[in-house]
Amino acid sequence: MALAGLRAWAADGVPSQLPPDTLAKAVKQDDFTIPTAGELLAALNKVGKPNWQAQYRPPIPTAYTSRPQIALNLGGLIADGYIAVEAEDSQQVKNIGKDIMTLARTLGISENVLRRGRSIEDFAENNEWSTLKEELEATQNEVKLAMDEQHDEELTTLVTLGGWIRGTEAVSGWIATNYSGDAAKLLRQPAIVELLRMRLEGLPARTQEDPLVKGLDGRLKTLQDMVTFPPDQIPTQGDVKKINVAAADLITTITAKR
Amino acid sequence: MVALSLGAATGRAADTDAEVTAHQSVLDLAGAFTNDGFKLRDGNYKGTLKAGESVLVQVNLYAGNQYWFSVAAAEPKSSVSINVYDESGKLMNSEAFTTTTAPATGATPALQPSADPYANKNRAAAGFAPDTSGPYYVRITETAGDAATFCLIYSYK
Repeated sequence: MALAGLRAWAADGVPSQLPPDTLAKAVKQDDFTIPTAGELLAALNKVGKPNWQAQYRPPIPTAYTSRPQIALNLGGLIADGYIAVEAEDSQQVKNIGKDIMTLARTLGISENVLRRGRSIEDFAENNEWSTLKEELEATQNEVKLAMDEQHDEELTTLVTLGGWIRGTEAVSGWIATNYSGDAAKLLRQPAIVELLRMRLEGLPARTQEDPLVKGLDGRLKTLQDMVTFPPDQIPTQGDVKKINVAAADLITTITAKR
Repeated sequence: MVALSLGAATGRAADTDAEVTAHQSVLDLAGAFTNDGFKLRDGNYKGTLKAGESVLVQVNLYAGNQYWFSVAAAEPKSSVSINVYDESGKLMNSEAFTTTTAPATGATPALQPSADPYANKNRAAAGFAPDTSGPYYVRITETAGDAATFCLIYSYK
């Protein structure tokens, strides 16, 4: 671009254009830069009336032995929690809350997380759906904090990754069978996968050598290519189905007992 | 001048008193948006800026959702401004909201816009509704005052 490096200024002193090198150096903080599954589901609610119960999946195993696999599935379960909240299904929220706590216990995670679990159950009992959305993210962050305290910092990236894949699977699944262009455009998420792949590259060698983690990056690259398209492009129904298949395959791998 | 750092989700030090103050102040501000049905993200970004400095934070937004990005500086005499840019670096139109005092309980932020976002205001918010899903950038600038610790949060609905 001929004007790259120059900065245009709006009348009130705020630059009207930032150069690419400035954008490239922007802060990227996982719990701020990466949206929750709840934000994606909220956006889908604006363009359709999803039957969220149709996006439930059967209960997943909760007796994994690999810590990276537990972390990935914790993230997926938290995304399931958002889906159950959108469905306003208190029993499903409670079931998922129990599974989250079971997995958290296998990581030896602290009492704070278990308290969050009890809060989720209470809010579900009282149908406090709005509060539950914030409580789910708070639970996820509490899990990550506990991982930090246990020197398992690298696992926090996997919690975020598991949640993003499961959210994308559920949303693309609904759009694939209830196709509209406005809904399909929600699947444009290039910077999220780019950041998640960057975080995976930064994981310690021992985590990267985990067989499950080792197989993720190539498939994430495929998914990244699918959710990376120009702002004015509308993915076809076929494109959406491909995204759904890719995300669902990843979830199948992540949940499979090894 | 743009202050740059790469945030990470892990290994955070305990909050300083100034960070706690800034966080509390911005939560007070965002409470008005929560009263208007916005969900508050649990994550936040904290940092320190001198007068004339800016920091840029990437976010990923979904078309159809509405967002409020809120920032507060711990120091009462600081002034902060907040703006949203798209992935090409173009300044987006956003609704400005600045204050030094907490909005009235239950007030709708949109009903209290600031006429002058560069007044001596140590809290500011930008309301934005993207037409396109994808990456955006939130730019925080300290427009006047001493070096200030700030806290940035966002809400959506």
